[in-house]
Amino acid sequence: MKDVETRPKKGEWIIVLTILFASLPLILGFALLIISSFSRDMVTDLSLDSFRPTIENWINVFQGRLAITGGIRQNILKITLNTLVVALGVSGIVTLISTLAGYSLSRMKFRGRKLMMLLLLMLHAFPGVALIVGVYLLYRLTFPQEPSFVRLYSFFYVILARAALEIPMSVWLMKGFFDTIPWEFEWSGIIDGASRIRVWRQIMLPLIKPGILAVALFGFLAGWQDLIYVRTFLIDQTLATFIEANIEAEYSHMPLIAAAGTLYLLPTIMFFLTAQQLLLQGYSGGIKG
Amino acid sequence: MVKITLDGITKKFGNFTALDNITLEIEDKEFMALLGPSGSGKSTLLYTIAGIYKPTSGRIYFDEKDVTEVPPKDRNVGLVFQNWALYPHMRVFKNIAFPLELKKAPREEIEKKVKEVAKMLHIDHLLDRYPWQLSGGQQQRVAIARALVKEPDVLLLDEPLSNLDALLRLEVRAELKRLQKELGITAVYVTHDQAEALAMADRIAIIREGKILQVGEPDEVYYKPMYKFVAGFLGSPPMNFVEAEVEGEVLKIYQSRIPVPGQYKDIVKKLNITEVLFGFRPHDAEIVREEREGIKGEVYSFEPLGREQIVTVAVDTDVFVKVFAPEGEHFRFGEKVTVVPNEERIVLFDKKTEKALEYL
Amino acid sequence: MKGEKLRNLSFFLSPMIIMVGLFYLIPLIFTIYISFTKMRNWNTERYLTEVVGLYNYQRLFHMFQHDPLMRTVLLTTVVFVGITLIINVFGGLLLALGTFFVNESSASTIRLLWLLPRMSPIAVYSLVWYYFFHGSDIGTLNSILMKLGVLSQPIPWGQIVPWGAWSVIIFVNGLVGVSFGMIVFTSALNQIPKELVIAARVDGASAWQISRRILIPMMKWHFLYVLTWQFLSLLTTYPHLFLLVQWDLVSRDYGTTLALYVYNTAFGRGEQDQGLAAAAAVLLSIIGILGGFVTLKVLQFEKMIHEPRGDIE
Repeated sequence: MKDVETRPKKGEWIIVLTILFASLPLILGFALLIISSFSRDMVTDLSLDSFRPTIENWINVFQGRLAITGGIRQNILKITLNTLVVALGVSGIVTLISTLAGYSLSRMKFRGRKLMMLLLLMLHAFPGVALIVGVYLLYRLTFPQEPSFVRLYSFFYVILARAALEIPMSVWLMKGFFDTIPWEFEWSGIIDGASRIRVWRQIMLPLIKPGILAVALFGFLAGWQDLIYVRTFLIDQTLATFIEANIEAEYSHMPLIAAAGTLYLLPTIMFFLTAQQLLLQGYSGGIKG
Repeated sequence: MVKITLDGITKKFGNFTALDNITLEIEDKEFMALLGPSGSGKSTLLYTIAGIYKPTSGRIYFDEKDVTEVPPKDRNVGLVFQNWALYPHMRVFKNIAFPLELKKAPREEIEKKVKEVAKMLHIDHLLDRYPWQLSGGQQQRVAIARALVKEPDVLLLDEPLSNLDALLRLEVRAELKRLQKELGITAVYVTHDQAEALAMADRIAIIREGKILQVGEPDEVYYKPMYKFVAGFLGSPPMNFVEAEVEGEVLKIYQSRIPVPGQYKDIVKKLNITEVLFGFRPHDAEIVREEREGIKGEVYSFEPLGREQIVTVAVDTDVFVKVFAPEGEHFRFGEKVTVVPNEERIVLFDKKTEKALEYL
Repeated sequence: MKGEKLRNLSFFLSPMIIMVGLFYLIPLIFTIYISFTKMRNWNTERYLTEVVGLYNYQRLFHMFQHDPLMRTVLLTTVVFVGITLIINVFGGLLLALGTFFVNESSASTIRLLWLLPRMSPIAVYSLVWYYFFHGSDIGTLNSILMKLGVLSQPIPWGQIVPWGAWSVIIFVNGLVGVSFGMIVFTSALNQIPKELVIAARVDGASAWQISRRILIPMMKWHFLYVLTWQFLSLLTTYPHLFLLVQWDLVSRDYGTTLALYVYNTAFGRGEQDQGLAAAAAVLLSIIGILGGFVTLKVLQFEKMIHEPRGDIE
């Protein structure tokens, strides 16, 4: 119970309507894009004539029949798969590293611990654009000589580089989650003779499942939505670079791009609907409270 | 200073019924205690009177005015929370002044009233401090001051003493009572401490699981409880209950026989009852070694308490009663004794409904 | 330190340390190094080994003073950061307070709606606004205004300099940034004991009075936190702006902040100048480090770090 029940309902509705009014461009923008994917022409001009419903766009998308770049077929499913690989890769790496580091920062005393944590905070605030030049140079210097490895290496590199950007915040987040577990669990394991690593693996990890889920989710979203890193490092295309490249599409092909965009948006919507609490918790940064 | 009338108040939270058809009248200037175990709904009832909760059904009246839908600020009530809810970022003066500032009262008036009420509660020297600089007892006075400064018609208190240590509690009890009488404000006081209710209230309403079991003056609810629950809740240690069978004019209690108490002779005959619960308080009985009419048993344990001691007597397998005895008497474990209850103070309850016979 | 403890620490910390070393430390050193070379078009064979001193920095400072494009970029950065910061901080605060006083299901819907910009894929988000602000008649804004009779012809909003372009980039980024403040302030509001709000109601306060006199004063730290963090973030953000400029939705000169300038100079179409970009990047880094340091001190993050009280060794 956070407020009295006798307060006038009228006041509440005024607030809700004001906020909805301010949200209008946002709602309109996204809605029109999604609707356009089901129409022959773009509906973004808000005229009813433009809305000629069809699922043609979606059929084309799934069949990869875009033929925009002069008759060359684009395999949307392959591109979506690439995006998925990047997202899963980033998610996995971020989750693994942050559950390891977060545990020791939460539970172990050692010299330099405080310094390390402050450093992580500063890294989180550090301008990413300042690093990307150096990250690219490292990329070039470590490029494999074998041509057949090159595409694989670009995947490998983009995943690691993108994951690295999420590490500071994710480590803090995981540390916060570990902090909430009572010490008794730890102590009972150590008294029973388990090693630190064992305690981490068999006692703490199962207890921290919501935290792991949250970090994995954020890692996935970070990888899924990325534009700059994939366009700079990845040789293959993801949905992001695909959309970037095809914005010059002819008028008649614009709804196709809208469909690709809507497809790209799907996981975001799915996570919205299923993981609300997790999202709100994680985005507050886990730093205070 | 108003009379509060609650008419058929029911409050549901989802499927859970917190208040079940409560009807109660609190007279003008009366100090009414809402007494009950935790979860009984007493705080819910208080908050409904305050206007924080809106009843699912039923009406509330202050004097003749229907306030059921009126928000708290228009009810002119003062509320003292269990943990005081002082605004941590404001000094004591500002905390107390807050209600008046919201009413946009003039500066001089605010100063005057705040200083007045602070003086009345002996905290006028603390006006410049922040809540976290005060002791528990001081914080509580600030909370009371804030409730009183707007000269409310009703003062509502939600277990205000529960966060204080025992000694302080006794002091503040007396002061609160005095204050209420002096100001003549209608007061509703929620507590789970029966001693507190008995000491402070003009009348007590005993609440259990959202229903009011009995309302009456302290003497009345103490000596003439309507339900076994009321009898067991008031008094410490609680009333003893043993099973008894009625055989004509005699009660058979395990191996003993006692005549039916005078005040119950007619009732028992009229109701044609055969099984009752026999209730008597530890202070209303004596332990004797001679042959007398009473409940026979063996001494199970005794706890010295200074001037007196509590003796636990086993009257049957796993059936115990507690009785007070003077400090000087010496008991031995297993000693055979007889417990003789004071006839006038005995209460008989119907086994099924747990209601005292005279109320059936 | 005991051997076992050292081994344990290595196990837990080395992945993170390696990542930080590889993708923060080494790149930083590389960037600094590149700023001292004449690297262009990523021609590492030719330029990597030749150090030319402060050449790029001199060029940079010359451009700050004389080059109209650079001056535009700097101006754009100042306007962008300044205005978007205000929108983000106060917009976030208003949203948090607004959702605090309404019922839970409306509040959740609103919060999720305003999280959409931050959570959407950047390309899709840019696509949405590309169509919204499009200069032709398929642009939503143009269509609305033409239907209302305010306009007779579509306007290329992002190409109107300077305020057209600035408004678009501020709007697009503002929507993303507002969610940060909203979430921080909402979390802060949830930590305030509920009795205080109820006590204030009993004392007679309206929602606005409660916000102004009780809730906001109790969120001072959070306000500072959002302010400083958003400032640093706005100074260095560029992904959400990139496509807007790339797709010519906004004018290049007035839609580019310093951060985007660095990226485009190093990786953009046409002549690439990594040396210059690196020099600008180093400058940004210095600001970033100083800003981060000041933020840590002001927000007293050090005090929030406690020793693990239960560690056995």
